[in-house]
Amino acid sequence: MLTWRGHLLAYLLTALVMVYLSYRLPGWLPGDFVTAMYADSHVVLGAEQEAALRERLQVDGGFGSYLLALARLDWGTSHAFRVPVSDLILNALPWTLLLMGGAHLLATMLGFVAGVEAAWRRGGRIERTSVGGMTVLQGVPEIGTGVLLLMVFAYHLGWLPAGGGATLYVDHGFAERALDVLRHLALPLATLLLAWFPGNFLLARASMVLVLGQSFLDTARAKGLPPIRVRYAHAARNVLLPMATRFGLRFAFMVTGALVVETIFSYPGLGTLLFNAIGARDLPLIQGIVLFSSLAVLGINLVLESVYARLDPRVRVYGRAL
Amino acid sequence: MNLVQHRRNGSNWIIRVGLALLLTLTAGLPAGSAEEAVSEIRIADGRGDWGQPNPYLHYPRGSGYVRMSWVFDTLVWKGEDGFQPALARSWVFDSEMQAFVFELQPEARWHDGEPVTAEDVAFTIELFREHPYYWIRLDDVSHAEVMDTHRVAIHLHRPYAPFIPDIGGTMPIMPAHIWREVEDPNTFTGPAAFIGSGPYRFVDFDPVQSSYLYEAFPDYYLGEPKAGRLVYLRAGQAIAALRNREVDLASIRPEMVEPLQRQGFEIVQDERGWNKKLMINHRKAPFDERAFRQALAHAIDRQAIIDRSQRGFGRPASFGLLSPDHDLYSPDTPDYAHDPERALELLRQLGYGPGPDGFLQKDGEPLEVELLVSNITAGGQTAADRDGEVIKAQLERLGIRTDLVNLEQGSTDTRIREWNFDLAVSGHGGIAGDARILNEMISSAHGAGSVNSARFDAHPELNRLLDAQLRAMDPEERRGIVAQIQHLHAEELPAIPLYYPDAFAAFNPDSGVRWFYTPGGIAKGIPIPQNKVSLFP
Repeated sequence: MLTWRGHLLAYLLTALVMVYLSYRLPGWLPGDFVTAMYADSHVVLGAEQEAALRERLQVDGGFGSYLLALARLDWGTSHAFRVPVSDLILNALPWTLLLMGGAHLLATMLGFVAGVEAAWRRGGRIERTSVGGMTVLQGVPEIGTGVLLLMVFAYHLGWLPAGGGATLYVDHGFAERALDVLRHLALPLATLLLAWFPGNFLLARASMVLVLGQSFLDTARAKGLPPIRVRYAHAARNVLLPMATRFGLRFAFMVTGALVVETIFSYPGLGTLLFNAIGARDLPLIQGIVLFSSLAVLGINLVLESVYARLDPRVRVYGRAL
Repeated sequence: MNLVQHRRNGSNWIIRVGLALLLTLTAGLPAGSAEEAVSEIRIADGRGDWGQPNPYLHYPRGSGYVRMSWVFDTLVWKGEDGFQPALARSWVFDSEMQAFVFELQPEARWHDGEPVTAEDVAFTIELFREHPYYWIRLDDVSHAEVMDTHRVAIHLHRPYAPFIPDIGGTMPIMPAHIWREVEDPNTFTGPAAFIGSGPYRFVDFDPVQSSYLYEAFPDYYLGEPKAGRLVYLRAGQAIAALRNREVDLASIRPEMVEPLQRQGFEIVQDERGWNKKLMINHRKAPFDERAFRQALAHAIDRQAIIDRSQRGFGRPASFGLLSPDHDLYSPDTPDYAHDPERALELLRQLGYGPGPDGFLQKDGEPLEVELLVSNITAGGQTAADRDGEVIKAQLERLGIRTDLVNLEQGSTDTRIREWNFDLAVSGHGGIAGDARILNEMISSAHGAGSVNSARFDAHPELNRLLDAQLRAMDPEERRGIVAQIQHLHAEELPAIPLYYPDAFAAFNPDSGVRWFYTPGGIAKGIPIPQNKVSLFP
């Protein structure tokens, strides 16, 4: 079993491999920025003009120089936007965190509570109906619920904005701005919530059902503990581990996970940025976003290991119990 | 209180909180009154991001050019009735000097208050010669001569018929006092890089929100523009954004026309300025046979494609490539009716016959073709391909086994560029603009870098005519040459024009601004209804 130093070294090596892959893989896409931008455009380039453009954009000095630049916190400059890649990622990240983070957190928390409560009432009408409903809802794609919500609340009722992350270029105070951001967030968040809540609910319920018949719960009841304490402090604690795993795994898809919703609601974020960068073969930007999301996966994995140990002391990390 | 009642009360509480939250979120909806709309125009765009609005930074697509055109003016500009004065209040071609002489508007100012002069025009020519702006070609321009402060002559090496649409009406004039000091214009991104002489000042571009903000230039030489601010927003669902009065103008799908008309929006329809076409790899057998390409033209039922993939919203294209709405369109251009019998007859003459599986073969070799398709972006809107399935079915009914391959657009473009394909569905605009588009879309000498260009050099007479039309300064002489080009294109079919999809835009008439599709397209032929003329006072 690895010591904590060995563990850290393993993480660093993994990070290095991810840096290499995020540097190398986007380069395997067919075509390049000049072809993607100009070949199907209003502008018809001559062969010499194409060569000149390629020469101007040729900044790749190999993996070594890429690594050195990263060490200087230089993530390169986007071919399309002509601004530093790190600026673009940092500007898009808050929107992605707000939408994806918010949806994940809400879906997990609501799914946990609803799943535990449903399992506690297993065999009842509410439990049977909710399990059936959630199984059906889980099969509805985000694009379906997204378009439906958009057509009802934005198009027909006109209650909520049809797209964007905020009303742009207007003077708002803090409270007005916050409300405006929430109004724009409502539909995409609801779409993701409807997509992710059922999975969390079903997982929480199934995990809870597995522990309900166990003797330690009888002991807890026999001690005269109130039902809510038996339910959450003793039984539902066992549900936290799979829920945390699911949360971490889904959060790892933060960048691409919201692309459909970002597209339907024209919501800003890393998904749209990556999608457009791939279309334009904007290699520095693709490399930057891929690297960022790879490192985010690694970071989340690290956090999860620590969280596991706290959630369940039986989980041993670094060769010893925490 | 029993448990059931307690739960019900709990549910009611949740519902009350939910309703309160919904009411809070839906409070303060945009009113969209006429007064607000006049002070500001909001335009929706499906993609949003088209680069920063200066000649060296905008994307080489129509939407990118239009973003730039608000900030930078040209010498002349295409409005609803053809070319009209812009920075030049008059112009004339002096055949003795072989030069276009422009007299500039004396009131024209740069956004920093400096006057626009003939020096700026001459400098622009030199700037774009040294650091090319790929929208224009200066190969035929000799030099610019400053005749006085507001008069400039642009001399040509040799006659160049498309000069006005291609250069005079497309080339943004750049401020010499700013750009003279710039070492590399491609990396110049400071605030001064956006000082133009157009009706709007550039204020902001947000690459993450994909939004643009412009403010009216009060000292504009034609008067202060109608709207105080101009905003571009990314809006994936144009119909909802229009309905919510979040935007004033948006390109829309044909199915949206009726509902939006009922809601009081004004609808404009584009001319036939953009066409879908079937690219053919005419450098390899059997596509290098003219008769084979003609057989394909007879085999494909273009009206059926329109009916099935476009739900009837489109019109079959001219085989001569130039739009029927073009002034130089030739109605005598040969046509290929949908005629599977004739297609089979042509294929039989080439030695093809039915094989044991019912598909055509020649000398025991089955006739198999690969058809590439991908999403296509037109007028800023991207649409998934629906033509491929219909074409495949039509070719297979004839006996041509067809492998349909749907790729992401960049991958398709790369394969076409490298001649690594058989057939590909493609599309481009510009066919209602200047007839120079024929050169770019047919000959490799002019269209080497375009995946929409057939790059067809197998017919010397066609290539000779393409060069000749550029030199024909007499409009009637040029008309005759362009008619011959259309005729030969239809005979040779280096690519098969399929159809013109119907294109519509909707705008809010309460804003007091009337938008229109520019006949011949904006500048070089951009089919987008965002002509700055609409906001002129």
